[in-house]
Amino acid sequence: MKRGVFPIRSKTYVAVAFVCYVIMTSMITEKVYARPDFSGAWTVYRPAGGAGRFMGTADQPSYKEVAVKAASDFRTVTEGTNHGAGNSCVGYGMPGSMLGSGGYPMEIIQREDQLFVIYEAHNEIRRIYLGDEIRDPATFFPERNGYSTAFWEGDHLIVETSRLKTQVDSRYPHSAAATIREEYYYGEPTEDGLKVLVAEMVMTDPLWLNEPFETTKRWQEMQDYHVLTYECSEPKWLDEMSELYEEAELEMVQE
Amino acid sequence: MKFIMHPLLTLSLLGASVSASTGYAHHSAAQFDFMNTVLIEGKVATVRFANPHMHLVLEVADSKGTRDITFEGHSRNNMRRQGLLPDMFTVGDSVTIRIAPMRNGEDGGYVTALRTPQGEEIGRVTAAD
Repeated sequence: MKRGVFPIRSKTYVAVAFVCYVIMTSMITEKVYARPDFSGAWTVYRPAGGAGRFMGTADQPSYKEVAVKAASDFRTVTEGTNHGAGNSCVGYGMPGSMLGSGGYPMEIIQREDQLFVIYEAHNEIRRIYLGDEIRDPATFFPERNGYSTAFWEGDHLIVETSRLKTQVDSRYPHSAAATIREEYYYGEPTEDGLKVLVAEMVMTDPLWLNEPFETTKRWQEMQDYHVLTYECSEPKWLDEMSELYEEAELEMVQE
Repeated sequence: MKFIMHPLLTLSLLGASVSASTGYAHHSAAQFDFMNTVLIEGKVATVRFANPHMHLVLEVADSKGTRDITFEGHSRNNMRRQGLLPDMFTVGDSVTIRIAPMRNGEDGGYVTALRTPQGEEIGRVTAAD
């Protein structure tokens, strides 16, 4: 062996080995963290012995006085009336849609660039954008479910929601400054072998909350269940039409 | 009107046993007494299975006389999930409903279950959805 040759070849071998290591590691990592598919119909998780319970989390945020007053004022003007949001066919909005939604089922349809979360109650739909579908949230008008983007951390889906509207009618009131982080992943299956979906949620609201509100929501899969549509506003419209027909002394044939 | 007062446990019209809140109700349900249950028989005057709540008017005859009483109840979706199908009954049919009565004792209440003329049963015992 000539002097000086071995060191050069050694460096080359080391470099090649390193590149191979990186490639193999990335392949293994990709395999271990294959992205799960959350598609399917889901209902509220019922732990053993809790069959039949339709409940959201018992956790409650700690509120500043301004929030307490706003929620109290809302109750004052609506208590005993039919003017709640739901009775006007208005959806729950985040985080109520995700944490409760009246105990109704939800369906997830998962695409690579977007998740559709359809809460049966009020046909409430969240669109959660990923990758190239993500736009600047600041360019969208605030809504009750906000604007949601997501990215994967291994097999966990991290969802970030902003552009929320102030909500006093929710079980979880918040100001328009609120942001919500959800982390979705598969938990341990039920004793019956049903899939369990978990979401750890943190709502931050510097204006209304004393501290970030953290809670965890679980669902279990619904096998052989058709998530239904939820027609809500038509009856109210028909009632209005009925009054107009009556005033005009005409027969209304549409039901 | 035929009022049959029963302890909650004896009222297993459907065998359903959900007793928890269904989350934030669509509107305040404070006027309904969900710790109490009443069965009412009557003739269907108007029925609309809708969301967020069903609307039902029964012609009821009792010691107070014969009159129409208006009820509301679970959503069409929840009733459907509990077995409701189109055309199970219609105006003029006699049905039995299970309600959470009004706290103030007035006529009306929140329908949690219903038995058709054919004996088919729909519903579950819960708070307002």
